[in-house]
Amino acid sequence: MNNLTSRQRKTACVVGILVLLVPIVILGMPAGDQAEASSGGVLARLRSEYDLGESDLGQIDPTSAAMNLVLLGLRGVAVNMLRMDLDHYKDTKNWAELQATTNAVITLQPHYIEVWKFLSWNMAYNVSAEWDAVPDRYYWVKEGGKFSQQGTKRNQDSSELLWDTGKIWGQKIGRSDEWKYFRKYFISDPDVERFNGGVDDAINPEQKDNYLVAKDWYTKANTAEEKNVQHIMMRALFRSYPARSQLDYADALQREGQFTGVTVAAWQQSFDEWTQSYGKMLFRTSECELYMEANEDDVRQMAADNGVSEDIVRDRLRFLQNTTNYRYWRTRSASEAQPETAEAHQLIYEGEQLYKSGELAEALPKLQRGMGLYATILERHPELAIEDLTAEEGMWAVLLWQKILELQQKPIPETFPLKGLWEQHKGLLPELEDRFNRLGL
Amino acid sequence: MLVGAFRGFLEFAFPSPRRVYAIATLTFKESIRKKALLVFVVFAVLFMFASWFMASPSDRPEMQVRNYVAFVFIAINMLVLPVVLLLSCWGLPEDIRIRSLHTVVTKPVRRNEVVLGRILGFASVGTLILLIMSTVGYIWIQRQVSDNVDLFCRVPVYAVSGPDGVRFLDRSGNPGAGVNVGDIDETRSFIEGGSKAAGIWMFPLNEKSDTLKLESRFEAFRTFKGNMNRSLRVRYVLVNEEKSLQVPLPTFEVNEFGTNEMDVNRKLTWTDEQTLKESEVDLYEDLAVPSNDGKFGALVVHVQCLDRAQYLGVSRGDFFIRLPDRAFAVGYIKAVIGVWLKILVIVIFSVTASCFVKWPVATLLSASVIIVGQVARELLDKMLSGTQAGGGAAESFYRLVTHMNETTPLPANPLITAIQLFDHGLQHLLWMVKFMIPDLRSFGMSGWVAYGFDVPWQGVMLPSLAITFGYFLPCLLLGYFSLYLRELEAK
Repeated sequence: MNNLTSRQRKTACVVGILVLLVPIVILGMPAGDQAEASSGGVLARLRSEYDLGESDLGQIDPTSAAMNLVLLGLRGVAVNMLRMDLDHYKDTKNWAELQATTNAVITLQPHYIEVWKFLSWNMAYNVSAEWDAVPDRYYWVKEGGKFSQQGTKRNQDSSELLWDTGKIWGQKIGRSDEWKYFRKYFISDPDVERFNGGVDDAINPEQKDNYLVAKDWYTKANTAEEKNVQHIMMRALFRSYPARSQLDYADALQREGQFTGVTVAAWQQSFDEWTQSYGKMLFRTSECELYMEANEDDVRQMAADNGVSEDIVRDRLRFLQNTTNYRYWRTRSASEAQPETAEAHQLIYEGEQLYKSGELAEALPKLQRGMGLYATILERHPELAIEDLTAEEGMWAVLLWQKILELQQKPIPETFPLKGLWEQHKGLLPELEDRFNRLGL
Repeated sequence: MLVGAFRGFLEFAFPSPRRVYAIATLTFKESIRKKALLVFVVFAVLFMFASWFMASPSDRPEMQVRNYVAFVFIAINMLVLPVVLLLSCWGLPEDIRIRSLHTVVTKPVRRNEVVLGRILGFASVGTLILLIMSTVGYIWIQRQVSDNVDLFCRVPVYAVSGPDGVRFLDRSGNPGAGVNVGDIDETRSFIEGGSKAAGIWMFPLNEKSDTLKLESRFEAFRTFKGNMNRSLRVRYVLVNEEKSLQVPLPTFEVNEFGTNEMDVNRKLTWTDEQTLKESEVDLYEDLAVPSNDGKFGALVVHVQCLDRAQYLGVSRGDFFIRLPDRAFAVGYIKAVIGVWLKILVIVIFSVTASCFVKWPVATLLSASVIIVGQVARELLDKMLSGTQAGGGAAESFYRLVTHMNETTPLPANPLITAIQLFDHGLQHLLWMVKFMIPDLRSFGMSGWVAYGFDVPWQGVMLPSLAITFGYFLPCLLLGYFSLYLRELEAK
């Protein structure tokens, strides 16, 4: 073959190895000190520069790393098989196996955001709905939320996963059909044996309202979004969620029959956050950069700063405000922070409760006074009257008031407070009648 | 010739225990020498780090138990089966290759004794590994499970099998079928609530006791949310139609995906709804109906859902009489026996295969038997029953290359006819395969233990034993003749 002796061949091999070792060391030397970005080989520096290292993405899980190493190139195959198992367990309602397989899938794909999103949603929304008892449903919502939280630890800069976690604690807990129970359970877990009637520390260590916990997650999502672009929705909408959670919190207190004190303060804070924090955020539109809490002076200034006409700024401003429903929430929070509004809600709510308990004579004046105050508020803020939520409450008060008059065999007067609203939103009546009948009032 | 055949029969039927023992002992020692026990290193590593993979503080206790039991049995299966498979497939071919078998067959050792000795030797290695692993697994489960969780094995008495076992009444109270609510899993049929619909279970009564424990795990299906404060309400009614007795038991709320337990006293007081007369009945004397399935007859129980327009999902296994529990260890040992029987079947197959082919082919053959018998059995059943969408091999290939959905009807042309004929022929082959390869799924008994049940003797253990011994004799015969006819010099 060649004329080299055995020793020469071996020496040549050793030299070759040493020569090849040099570029390998230069390229692949691991970083010595994490704080020092310039340490390590070329690959380590690039990894650090582009946040591609395992430790830059989030907490390192040795289990996951070991599994991925052991499986070599068969990770995809293993994940496919596990996902098929997962579907099978869901179809056959084997929940323990489903949960174990979910954890196995995520061990293999710890940085695949869509997998975290899908699996947490699966538990919080799909699996929870399969259970009949509300505490069981809550358990699975919690499991979905905790899973999502776990995902944010492994992927600390994923704005989408942070947002998803906020959505589970905010929307799923606060807006499900079971919201009354879920919100209570969030403060006092139904698993008394494990949590002794207190909170589940893993999700709510500070014993906050679910919307305030969601607000914290949305705030984290906004911080992460400054670094990593999200692809869920328009940026102006995405960044509105912390303030929207505060609004939802105040609204939920009202839905639960609390109208004064903490609720008024919550609305006041909502107004401040909506107008001062969110309203002053800069958003880039196709022509200019602007913020939504803007008066004429601000419009002129923004036009000058962006080098465009005031009409363009106004047009873009209107577009952004319409998209985010900015003016409605501004007016709503301003109006709800007023003591008269709180009183109007309280009167209508108390009237309804009295009606339910059959105390018609006491319910009628409460509803009448509530309707009067409500009409005054709508006169002050006419833009609120076109919103369904506001209209619905006013219509509901009038409907109950009319039902009482019918029961008392009294005629309905020609004119009454909120008559304009009543005429304007007759389309809501079938739905309200249905609600009235379902409640068995 | 007759004398020869007789001698052959004697050779086969009466092996020398001493020689078989000697070969088995040598096989065992040889396996140890081949470092088969290194499998314990992997086992130890797995169990040391298992809690990393599995521990989740939020897990419910019953879910923890299921996962731990499943993990132990998966780990044992995954570690023991490949080891015994490889050892069994390599043993004889290696003896032939290095000619050590020549020194054996030239001695007065019969071929069947060689095969039997090999089978017993490899089975002993598998048994030893299994014993150690299952003991460690048992201790590990006990240590992992929370202190407040009781480990036990329920002993259920299910409704009698056959059409009388579970029947349904429709909403008008006439015999009918349960309602399908559109669940993907069609195991359960549903009973309409607030109507005359009912599910009827007929339990055999084989022993008398002062109280009878009834346990169920029904599913709830709501057509509307209704009252969320409580689950659906269910009622059992004990019925003896001949004596016009209908004794309702107290109503309870369904604990979905959990258990509903009720103790029924032997003496029951009930009020006749028509005459409003109160009387006492005896479970065995008055309510039991004559039946050949139970020593004391059978108990007929009607299950009704009381919530209007809501549905209760039931299947035969969802409702049973619960006899006194057995220790967790009892069920666990039975499940380990299941794994042991599976090891025996694999050893039998592998040693037989190694008698007529070289070790790589024997390994492939035995591995295929395991894969078909364990993993692909369901697919095989579906293909043979015609329920597998997409048809047979040729049809699937045709659909694949023509990008045709598996549910799209095929066009009518000669090619399709030929394809279907070809698949039809293949189906006969598959049919043979189905009956030649054991259904290894039946050896998996850990599911019973994981869900807190004892492994039934008649329905589960006996069939597994029958499969093992059913394959033993033909395989031994095949191995004997293969080794007899094999040219040992051919390597």
